[in-house]
Amino acid sequence: MHSTIVRGQNVFGFFTSVCFFVAALIAASDLLAPRTPKATVSVKDVQVVRGRPHYYSTKKEEYAVIRFSLSADLSSLFTWNTKQVFVYVSASWPNSTLGEDGKGELVNEAVIWDSIITNPSADHLQNIGPAAMKKLVKSSKGKKIDPSRGKLELKNQKAKYQITSPTGKLAETDNVVLKVHYNVQPWVGVLTWTPQIEFGMWKKVKGGVSKVFKFPALKAKKEAEKKKA
Amino acid sequence: MLSALQNPRQAAAQLLNFGLILSTAFMMWKGLSVISDSPSPIVVVLSGSMEPAFQRGDLLFLWNRNLMEETKVGEIVVYNVKGKDIPIVHRLVRKFGVGEQAKLLTKGDNNLADDTELYAKGQDYIERQDIIGSVVAYIPFVGYVTILLSEHPWLKTVMLGLMGLVVVLQRE
Repeated sequence: MHSTIVRGQNVFGFFTSVCFFVAALIAASDLLAPRTPKATVSVKDVQVVRGRPHYYSTKKEEYAVIRFSLSADLSSLFTWNTKQVFVYVSASWPNSTLGEDGKGELVNEAVIWDSIITNPSADHLQNIGPAAMKKLVKSSKGKKIDPSRGKLELKNQKAKYQITSPTGKLAETDNVVLKVHYNVQPWVGVLTWTPQIEFGMWKKVKGGVSKVFKFPALKAKKEAEKKKA
Repeated sequence: MLSALQNPRQAAAQLLNFGLILSTAFMMWKGLSVISDSPSPIVVVLSGSMEPAFQRGDLLFLWNRNLMEETKVGEIVVYNVKGKDIPIVHRLVRKFGVGEQAKLLTKGDNNLADDTELYAKGQDYIERQDIIGSVVAYIPFVGYVTILLSEHPWLKTVMLGLMGLVVVLQRE
């Protein structure tokens, strides 16, 4: 009854219960923080070029090269339980076979740009070079939470990923649209994505969808050669 | 000392107690599996490819039902590749088509390239059936003990020995 083992077990049991209770409280506190993100995204330039998936491939595919501008205010997503916010911009387009009625369902989606924004409390976990790390830590010195990192201002940004489709065809696709999404990674608790419905104090993203545009026809070969020269 | 061994009735009761604990844990695991429709509803992160979101040893809770909508781009999914037995936790970055046949591409946040290289030979995309769940909740570090156990097998022997000793020596 009062052996050392039993006492040890009791202490350990109580310790884990307290840990889980505190973790649950922290996770639940997310619901009390209002989320009011805003975003404006617009396409600046689209080209479709032919290329190979990798150097040794003989397959030629069409790639969409997109430039866009993004202005976003995600500062309300940064709370004491925020580890990082993953922001991404995706392009969606319907299948060519579906769009008989003018506008098909957006069945294809591909991320063209993403970024990891850490809360200062998670800076040390970033996989970046020492110089960049120094700059990052200095940017919000003395702060554990830095909502100002949620303000993004990208002008004429080049996409990080050149997208294609499984068929290798992409040129002359209509009804393409860019969307801004986010994913909040907590220190403990539930992961959240851009909400589809308003939920308590969490509002939907204001804006965050670009105007409809199209992937143009392939650039003429001559033009591409001229550019190279 | 070792009074339990002299009293067979007590020894049997302790054995039953031990079995009860094991079966309760097993039932909870399988129950969670049924609720989430995932063969493995809780997984431990084994690699650093999703850093800084997930570190090695973090515990992830999975959900494998599409109640409201389909699995979509941006979700972090756990998937199996044919011929490899270790499931991978990565983010969905491309989706072509809808339904079971949709072609999906994944990428680790901390990796420069997408996962085409990780898939089976000749496989360019994964499908919905390869996914065993999407990450919905997160507890840091708790699963690290399983990494320790698999990397240092002698710890297993030590732990089993200690547990057996406690069971035998316990009087209650």
